[in-house]
Amino acid sequence: MELIGLANYAIFMGILIGIYALLALGLNIQWGLTGLFNAGIAGFFAVGAYASAIITSPHVAGRVGGFELPIVVGWMGAIVFAGLIAWPIGKVCLRFRSDYLAIATIGVAEIIRLVIKSEDWLTGSSRGITGIPRPFGELDYVASQLAYLGLVIAAVAVVYFLLERQLKSPWGRMMRAIRDNEAAAAAMGKQIEARRLQAFIFGAAVMGLAGALFVHFNRSITPEAIDPMIATFLIWIMLILGGSGNNRGAILGAIVIWLLWSVSEMITDRLPTDVALQAKYIRIFVVGLALQLVLRFRPEGILPEEQARQTAR
Amino acid sequence: MKLKSTAALIGSIIGASLLAATPAHAQNVKIGLLSGITGPIAAMAPPMIAASQLAVAHVNEQGGIGKGGKLEVVVGDSACNPQNATDAATKAVNIDRAVGIVGPACSGAVLAAANSVAVPAGALLITASGTSPQITSINDKDLVFRTVPSDDYQGRALARTLKGRDITKVAVAFLNNDYGKGLAEAFKAEFESLGGTIAGYSGHEGSKASYRSDLAELAKGGADTLVIFDYGDGTGLTILRQALENNFFKTFIGADGMKSDAVIRELGADNLGTFFTSSPVGEASSSLESFNKAFTAAGQSPDAIFTTTSYDAAFLMALAIEKAGGDNAKLAESLRAVSSAPGEPIMAGEWAKAKKLIAEGKDIDYKGAAGDHEFDKNGDVPGTYAFFKVSGGTYESLGEMK
Amino acid sequence: MTFIDFINFHIVPGVVLGSIYAVGAIGITMVFGILRFAHLAHGDLATMGAFIALSTMGLFGASPWVGLPVAMIFAAAIAVGIDKTFYDYLRDRPKILTVMASLGVALMLRSVVQVVWGVDSTTYQRGIVRPDEYFGILLRDRELYTLLAVATIVIGLEAFLRKSKWGKAMRAMSDNPDLARLSGVDNRHVTMLTWAIVGALCAAAGFLLGLNNELNSMMGWHLLLPMFAAAILGGVGRVEGALLGGLIVGIAEELSVLILPGQYKAATAFVILLLILLVRPRGLLNGKVL
Repeated sequence: MELIGLANYAIFMGILIGIYALLALGLNIQWGLTGLFNAGIAGFFAVGAYASAIITSPHVAGRVGGFELPIVVGWMGAIVFAGLIAWPIGKVCLRFRSDYLAIATIGVAEIIRLVIKSEDWLTGSSRGITGIPRPFGELDYVASQLAYLGLVIAAVAVVYFLLERQLKSPWGRMMRAIRDNEAAAAAMGKQIEARRLQAFIFGAAVMGLAGALFVHFNRSITPEAIDPMIATFLIWIMLILGGSGNNRGAILGAIVIWLLWSVSEMITDRLPTDVALQAKYIRIFVVGLALQLVLRFRPEGILPEEQARQTAR
Repeated sequence: MKLKSTAALIGSIIGASLLAATPAHAQNVKIGLLSGITGPIAAMAPPMIAASQLAVAHVNEQGGIGKGGKLEVVVGDSACNPQNATDAATKAVNIDRAVGIVGPACSGAVLAAANSVAVPAGALLITASGTSPQITSINDKDLVFRTVPSDDYQGRALARTLKGRDITKVAVAFLNNDYGKGLAEAFKAEFESLGGTIAGYSGHEGSKASYRSDLAELAKGGADTLVIFDYGDGTGLTILRQALENNFFKTFIGADGMKSDAVIRELGADNLGTFFTSSPVGEASSSLESFNKAFTAAGQSPDAIFTTTSYDAAFLMALAIEKAGGDNAKLAESLRAVSSAPGEPIMAGEWAKAKKLIAEGKDIDYKGAAGDHEFDKNGDVPGTYAFFKVSGGTYESLGEMK
Repeated sequence: MTFIDFINFHIVPGVVLGSIYAVGAIGITMVFGILRFAHLAHGDLATMGAFIALSTMGLFGASPWVGLPVAMIFAAAIAVGIDKTFYDYLRDRPKILTVMASLGVALMLRSVVQVVWGVDSTTYQRGIVRPDEYFGILLRDRELYTLLAVATIVIGLEAFLRKSKWGKAMRAMSDNPDLARLSGVDNRHVTMLTWAIVGALCAAAGFLLGLNNELNSMMGWHLLLPMFAAAILGGVGRVEGALLGGLIVGIAEELSVLILPGQYKAATAFVILLLILLVRPRGLLNGKVL
C-alpha cells in the first residue's frame, strides 16, 4: 500500500465528485434558488451524456451519429440538448407545484430512460455507446487522470462562478423573492412563469454538461448509468446534506457523500472475508444511517444558505 | 457544532485510510473481485463470488502463488452501474494494489471499468458475465478478457439446435438489457436465415409483477415454443411461471441465464418436462464435473448462473499471475500462454499440477469448467454449448450443440 | 383475440396487479395527506413485510395467509418505530428533509432484508397453480383471495376513517392540521396511528405481491414508482382515489402491450399520470394541493 495508490484513488474520486458536484449545482439552481422539485435529474444527465456521445463517437451501423466531432462540440451539444429538452418539459410541468412536479419529472425521466434503453437507432439501446474519445486519453494512467481532473475542476469552477455572479445580480434576488413569496413577487410585476422556466432550463443544461463529462471519462455509456437511485436520489441527498441554496454547500455535499460511500467500504472491508457479501449490504445500511445522523444534527445542511429563510416550506 | 462534525468526519477518513494502509504480506498477490452485489442483479452475485473464491481457495490450498505466497481477494461492489464499478475498480487497483480484476458483472460496468481504470492502469481484467458484443471492441491493449462467450455465439448455436430438433416456429421473449437483447438478436438472425419463423418477438423490462399480457401477445402468433432470454432467478422465473400457469406455450427454451436452480426449486421439476436450456460447457467435461463436485461440497449449487465462468476467470487469473512470476507487465501474455493450446491440459481445480508444470517451464493449457478458453485476438472465447433438460431435480445434458 | 382472452389475459391480471398497487398507494396517499411528504421507504417496508410473512409461515408451516396478520402487526410497529426514530424530529423542518430521511430509511430496510433473508428470489408456495374457470374467466384461488383481501382492507379502512373517533381525527388533520389541533385533536396520536395503518398496508401490499409472484429484496423498490403514480393519479389524500389510481395503472400496464412494445410497459403509468395532471391537476378525485 503506497501513498501513490491513495493519491491515484483521490484523483479518481475528485473526478466523480466534480461530475456529481455539477449535478448538485444544477439542482441547486432549480431547488435551492427557485424551489422547483425536480426529481428527474437522471433524465437531463442522460440527455447530456448521450448527446455528447453521439456527437463525438465513431460511426456504428444502424445508429445515428458517427460525426466524430471535437469533444468541445460534444460538450456544447450536451448543454444545448439538455436545455432544449428541459424547455417543453418545463413548459408543461412547471405549472404543477412541489410534489406533483416531483412525480411528473420522475415520470419524464423514466420515459427518457426507457427510450434510451429501447431505441437502437438513437442510443444503441441496452448495449450503449462505446468508443467515445477522452480528452488527454492517450497519456499514461496517472497523467491522464490528472488532466481530466483538471478539466472537471475547471468546469465546476466556471459553473460555480457564473452561478455566484447570477445570484448576486438582480436576477438572483428576484429568483429568491419568487421562491419565498410568490404572491408578493407577482404583485410586484415579476414574470414568475418565465423566470422559473429559465431556472429550470439553466439547471438542466448544467446537468447535461455533467452527463457529457461522465461519458468522456468512461469512454462509454450504457443505460445502467441513469438509474434513478444513482442519478437522481443520490444528488438530492448531496444537495440537502451540503446545504440547499448554497452553491458551496452543493459542492461540499457531493464531496461528503462520495467520501461516505468510499469510507464506508473501507470500514466494511475490514470485516473478515467470509462475511464480505454481508459487509456490502451492511455498507448500504451505514450510508443510510449516516444520512440520518446528518439530518438529525445538521438538518439545514452542512453549509446552510447564507440568508436565513423566513418560512419553512 | 459545524467544526465538530467536520472534524469527526475528517478523523474518520484518516482513520479509515490508516487502516487501509496496513501493508499486505510481501509475497502475497491481490486480485479484485467485483460483482453487482447490491443493485439489480443482487440475486446472481453471491454464487458467482463463491465460485471465484472457490478457485482462490484451490490455489491457496495447493501451494499458493510463487514461493509460499497466497492469493488474496478484495471483494468490491460494482452494483451493476458504471459509477460504482469504476469506483470499486479504482479502489482495487490503486488502494489495494490488485494486479488484476475478476469481474465486474454487468456489461455496462465492464465497459466503464475497463475503459477508465483497468486499461489505462495496466491491470488485467477478466469478466465472467459481461456478455455484450461491445466488450469485444474495447481498445484494450490486450488487457480485457472474458470467460463467458459473447451473446452472439450462444444465440446462434441455440437457433441451430432448435432447427435441428425440428422446431420451426417460435416466439421470443427477452429481457431488455444487453444480455437478453444481445441473445435475442443473434438468435433471431440465425433462426430466420435457417428458414425458421419468429412468430412473436418482444422485449420486456425487468421486475414488473405481471407479464401475462406480454405472453398473450406473443402467443397470438401461434407458436408452441417460447424462447426466453432472461435470468432464471429474476424476471425469467416470473415469465416462465406465468406462461406455464396459463398454458400459453408447450415448450420453453432458455439460454444459460435460465439454467438456474431457482427455476427448479420454485416451479418444481415435475412442471418442467418441456423446459430446455443451453449453457456453455467445456469440451473436457471432466473439468465441469470436478467443479460441480467441489462447488456442491462448498454448499453451493453449481446450476446457479455464471458460476463456472466465474470459477474459470479467477483460476485463469491465478495461472496468469503464477506464469508471469511477479512481472505484472507480462500478465496478459501469460494469460494467453496458460489458456491456449498446445500444452499439458489442466482441469478445474488442478492447481498443484499446473504450478509444478509452470515451475518446470512447461507449456500448459487450461481447460475450464465453462469451456476451453482459447481466447481470440479480442480476448473473447467462442464457447462450446450443451443443451440441457430438467431431470431428477437437476439439469442433465442432452449433448453438445453445434 | 377473442373477448374472453382479452378479459383473461389483460383485464384480470391488470385488476389483480392494480389492486396490489392500490393497497400500496393508499398508504402513500395517507402519508401525503396527513403528514404531507413523499414517503420513499414505502416500497422497502413492503418488502420487509413480505419477508416477515415468509418467516412466520416457515415458523408455523401453515398457509401463507397466517403470515399476513403477523406481518401487518410487525410492519405497523416498525413503521411507528421508524417515525419516532427518524422522522419525528424533522417535523417542523422543511418537508424535503423528511423525504430524504425516508430515502435513507429505504436503504437501511433493504440492507436489513438482504442480510437477514438473503437476495435470492423465493416464493410462499412452490410449484405452479393452474387457474379454475368461472364462466370462461380464468382465476386462481390466490387471485380471488387477493381481491377479497384488498376489498376487505379498503372497506375496513373507509369505515374506520368515516365512523370512528380516531378516523375522523385523521381526516380532520388531513384537511386542516391547524384547525384540527385547535379543536383538540392530538397530533402525536394521530401521527402514530397513521404510521401503524401505513405500515400494516405496506406489509399487505408486499405480501400480496409475493403471493402472486416471487419475493426478492428489490421487489418493493420497483413497486414504488407505479404506486406513487397511482396515488397522485387518484388525488392526494383520497383513499378511494388511490384505489382507483391503482386499478387504472395496473390495467393500463397490462393493456399497453396491445399498442406499445413491451419495453415501454413501465412508462404507461407515467404517461397516464402526465395526461391526467394536465387535464385535472388535482388528480381524478380532486385531491389536495400540497
